[in-house]
Amino acid sequence: MKYFPYVLKHLRRNWIRTLSTIAGMALCIFLICTLQTVLDAIRQTTENANPSRLITRHAVSLVFNMPMAYKPRIQALPGVKAVATSNWFGGIYRDMKDFFPSFAVEAEDYFKIYPEYNIPPDHFRDYLQDMRGALVGRDVAEKYGFKIGDTFQMESMIPPYRVGRPFEFVVRGIYQGNTAGTNLGMMFFHFKYLYESIQGRRGVGNYAGAGTFNIEVTNPNQAAAVAKAIDANFENSDVQTKTESEGAFIAGFLAMTGNLVALLNGIGLAVAFTILLVTANTMSMAVRERRTEIAVLKTLGFSSTLVMSLVLTEAVALGVLGGGLGVLMAEGLVANLAKLPFMGLVLGQFPGLAVSPFVATLTFTIAVTLGITAGLIPALGAYRARITDMLRQA
Amino acid sequence: MAAVDVQKVRKIYRRDAQEIVVLDGIDLQVPDGEFVALMGPSGSGKTTLLNLIAGIDRPTSGTVLVGGTNVGQLSEGALAKWRSRNVGFIFQFYNLIPVLTAAENVELPLLLTKLSKSQRRERALTALKIVGLADRAKHYPRQLSGGQEQRVAIARAIVTDPAVLVADEPTGDLDARSAEDILNLLDTLNREFKKTIVMVTHDPRASSRAHVERHLEKGVLTNSTERREVTA
Repeated sequence: MKYFPYVLKHLRRNWIRTLSTIAGMALCIFLICTLQTVLDAIRQTTENANPSRLITRHAVSLVFNMPMAYKPRIQALPGVKAVATSNWFGGIYRDMKDFFPSFAVEAEDYFKIYPEYNIPPDHFRDYLQDMRGALVGRDVAEKYGFKIGDTFQMESMIPPYRVGRPFEFVVRGIYQGNTAGTNLGMMFFHFKYLYESIQGRRGVGNYAGAGTFNIEVTNPNQAAAVAKAIDANFENSDVQTKTESEGAFIAGFLAMTGNLVALLNGIGLAVAFTILLVTANTMSMAVRERRTEIAVLKTLGFSSTLVMSLVLTEAVALGVLGGGLGVLMAEGLVANLAKLPFMGLVLGQFPGLAVSPFVATLTFTIAVTLGITAGLIPALGAYRARITDMLRQA
Repeated sequence: MAAVDVQKVRKIYRRDAQEIVVLDGIDLQVPDGEFVALMGPSGSGKTTLLNLIAGIDRPTSGTVLVGGTNVGQLSEGALAKWRSRNVGFIFQFYNLIPVLTAAENVELPLLLTKLSKSQRRERALTALKIVGLADRAKHYPRQLSGGQEQRVAIARAIVTDPAVLVADEPTGDLDARSAEDILNLLDTLNREFKKTIVMVTHDPRASSRAHVERHLEKGVLTNSTERREVTA
């Protein structure tokens, strides 16, 4: 510990180089920490998926709807307990920055399948009785100050749902979560309202099909067989279906952007490798320009091991400072991700998105490891260097 | 017992296949409290001999005894520890650490001891007082003149109270007046603090301050000039 001020003084010696290395390290850790947080959120979301729930969608793409007539045919299949229609509305409230996910659902069936949404009975009753009724999550209500009875308007970003005027909604219920991780940042309204609003519109898409059928099976162990049976049922239809578990559906939805996990990990790895080279270069320069000082320290009686430790400590200090700063920056960004335009639309859907202690520890450890690795070769050089050689080369 | 006893020392450097004999069978005894100047032309082996005495290099053959310890036989770790306690080294170009103040530079060897921070600081200030620079304790090397830097370097060399001081051309980078101050200081350390001093120099004025001058020529001690009695 008594050597630490000595190490810090050396770090301050070429402060521009030290600060730029710390900034580079912080940026690297910030990026890795943020990416890992997103990956962690994706992993948690898929892991938390209910195994007794299936999602059926258009076999070609989520973009296309399915005929409403499919619902009773699915309901009639053995092993199916309940079916509800759900459509992504993509409504914009006020402005893009105020976006929150909105779904048109068949409430009576939908909320039986999703018991994690805790809706007070009187709110639910009022909601069912009002065609324009909306159920908003607690987070949405708090963020926009919605109270029961408030009215607000939204316009969909999906062309077939744009009816020339905004949809008007009345807040009839505010839901909470029955389980940890329930997304309280969404809004639900009646599928019937959507259906009737666009029914009879001239042109293409003048009826609302089903975006997805959300299905509850009687036995989770037979979910795969039921999924197969559903798809087989529509195999020879014009609109074929793709049914998968809730977890697979979420993973597949996210994978629409490509192999997201590999991409994010790849970016993190490339950045980490780059910063390793930068830090190693910094440490090599720092040691090279201090050859005489290292010789002096050894002459004064500092052992080779101690000199090596001092160089390594310096490298680790860069890692600790850069890593700590990077994690703090990531925490700051992640806390505000949902507020970001565009990116926030996607990332805001992960409930409770935050840098977990695991990710913070992991990325901080990466920073320290990068520091140690970068300092290792210069430190070994300092360890091996002979006093007379270094004094001669000075 | 001599403070320094060099017996039949040879030092050979190897450059590829070529062997360069730098010291060839040197015998040198320096009694306790003596001030010896090693003189000779460049490449004669003065600095190499000084490095062997200071324990920062090892002889190819022969024995180097300093304070009774055969420094050539110590392991790297033991030799480092031995240096920290028994020898103070004064360089030609001072070699102070630029990011440390004068007091911190002087304190540096004390980091290897078990002294507390306040004890270390107290000792460093005492050493700076001895060299007449107590008022410059908080100054950085760049804020000091060459002569002052060398005095700080001397304070660093004596702060652990070693019995032997080795100096490699301590006045080589200084103007005449500063050189005189440094030589006076070395003289004081020898007379009042009973330090045994081995000094390499080209400067006849510097060597004239030593009790004994030893001349090296092509790795061999040629002649000796005794100037005055040892004060120990």
